[in-house]
Amino acid sequence: MDQQTTSATISVLSNNSILLDATALNDDSLSIQKKIWALVQQCNTRDAFIDVVPAMNSLTVYLIDPATLAHWQAQLVLWWTNINPYDYQGKHHKIITQYGGEYGPDLEYVAEYHNLSPQQVIDIHSQGHYQVLFLGFQPGFAYLHGLNSQLHTPRRAQPRTRVPKGSVAIGANQTAIYPADSPGGWHIIGHSDFALFDSENTPPCAIQPGDTLQFVTKESVL
Amino acid sequence: MITVIKPGMQMTIQDLGRHGYRHLGIAQSGALDPYAMIIANRLVGNDDNQNVIEITLGLAQLQFQCATVIALHGADMQAKLGGVSIYPGWCYPVEQGQTLTLATARQGFRSYLAIKGGIDCHAVMNSTATDIAAGFGGLTGATLQANAQLPITPFDGDWPQRGAIAPAKRSVIRVHSGPHQQLRSQQYSDFFAQTKWQVSPQSNRMGVRLSTEHNQLMHTHSLPSLAVSPGSIQLTPSGEPIVLLNDGQTTGGYPLLGTVISADLHQFAQLKPGDFVQFEFVNLAVANTAQQKLDAHLQQLTIALKNLSIR
Repeated sequence: MDQQTTSATISVLSNNSILLDATALNDDSLSIQKKIWALVQQCNTRDAFIDVVPAMNSLTVYLIDPATLAHWQAQLVLWWTNINPYDYQGKHHKIITQYGGEYGPDLEYVAEYHNLSPQQVIDIHSQGHYQVLFLGFQPGFAYLHGLNSQLHTPRRAQPRTRVPKGSVAIGANQTAIYPADSPGGWHIIGHSDFALFDSENTPPCAIQPGDTLQFVTKESVL
Repeated sequence: MITVIKPGMQMTIQDLGRHGYRHLGIAQSGALDPYAMIIANRLVGNDDNQNVIEITLGLAQLQFQCATVIALHGADMQAKLGGVSIYPGWCYPVEQGQTLTLATARQGFRSYLAIKGGIDCHAVMNSTATDIAAGFGGLTGATLQANAQLPITPFDGDWPQRGAIAPAKRSVIRVHSGPHQQLRSQQYSDFFAQTKWQVSPQSNRMGVRLSTEHNQLMHTHSLPSLAVSPGSIQLTPSGEPIVLLNDGQTTGGYPLLGTVISADLHQFAQLKPGDFVQFEFVNLAVANTAQQKLDAHLQQLTIALKNLSIR
């Protein structure tokens, strides 16, 4: 167990993939994730990987050449031990959001659930400073850290069959923007025209792991 | 131009897929049986990564509006070109107006149709593979429907008829053991490796779901999301393993039982609902040797085709 609390666990997943798992560390998850982003950046300086994929307090690398597996297994341990969590600075994005009404059909529900007014929900949500932990689920879907615990709301009992692209939503302790129409069980509190994913753009996703963002009300930028 | 008359169960344009975008949540896509696809491409003189048509189960029909050369590989769907039987693993000249008709697969599930020069469609993130879930790639980002027109470049020159055999099939799929201690107990790994799993009807290009009676792998472990990839074997709480395939998500919160070795993953392309499959855990050396053997098979084909064209 000591091994796990002082360092990350390195596992070989296949002959060309390695998992660095830091989920059992005692540090808080955001500072671990900062080290993960720095490690991603470090990996991307080398021409050795097909994919370098951060997830929640873990990183998986997919090697071009399986013969280098042992080398990278050792190298990842070395880098992880010496990495500075502040080595990676992401971009900051302002997500202009229209809250409530037809744009956020669940805003009233979320407000009532927490004994807040809709305006208070908007204020708390738009005052937050969010970190993009990693992307997954669908192209451009960003897992965000930083939702105020006052807004944590259990998912809808009946998921919607279609949550429109651009929906700003809350599910349990997370908030997110839907990059495409999809089924979903989160509460829709607003809408943004910010294009999270466009297959024709380079890069196709405007938001990258390690970026920061804030939601700003449409009124505040008019 | 090729006209799709009947797409069958599922017909898509695929190449070897998208690579280098998983950190953005973008799946690999691409042919589920890349070896069948590569061999078909080589028989018609295409690059390995040239797009092909992936045909699922069969019951499909295509009409060629111009001359070309085609090769089918993968599942044998009792194909007929202009009413005459043609065979997987061989290339055939096609005359303008001819129809290719596929019945149902007797063995296997997916067949790959390579067309000389491929289908003319624009690459998205360096690939023409169709990502059905996200809706891009291929011609329209979707499965091919009846009446779809697939642009190709006509070819009416001479082309040598030649054939190639597929790599050997295996009845037992080899896997690397997984990273999660809670699933590495003898109880889990023994049950997984000793069970004859049946492919569930819920399987698709995202993953093959496996079921068995008296399942003993039920669990309540939920993990922080970790990266997954084609070949990852997720264990759902109900105890049913899912072998992720090319359209699978990039991250997931189910614990991993293991990872299918790279040399055996393509075999899942040919499993249809109701088929049985078994697994055995192997070490890295076995996985590497298996991959080298497959690479050697393709290398031999390259040499053979080169010798044929010299003669």
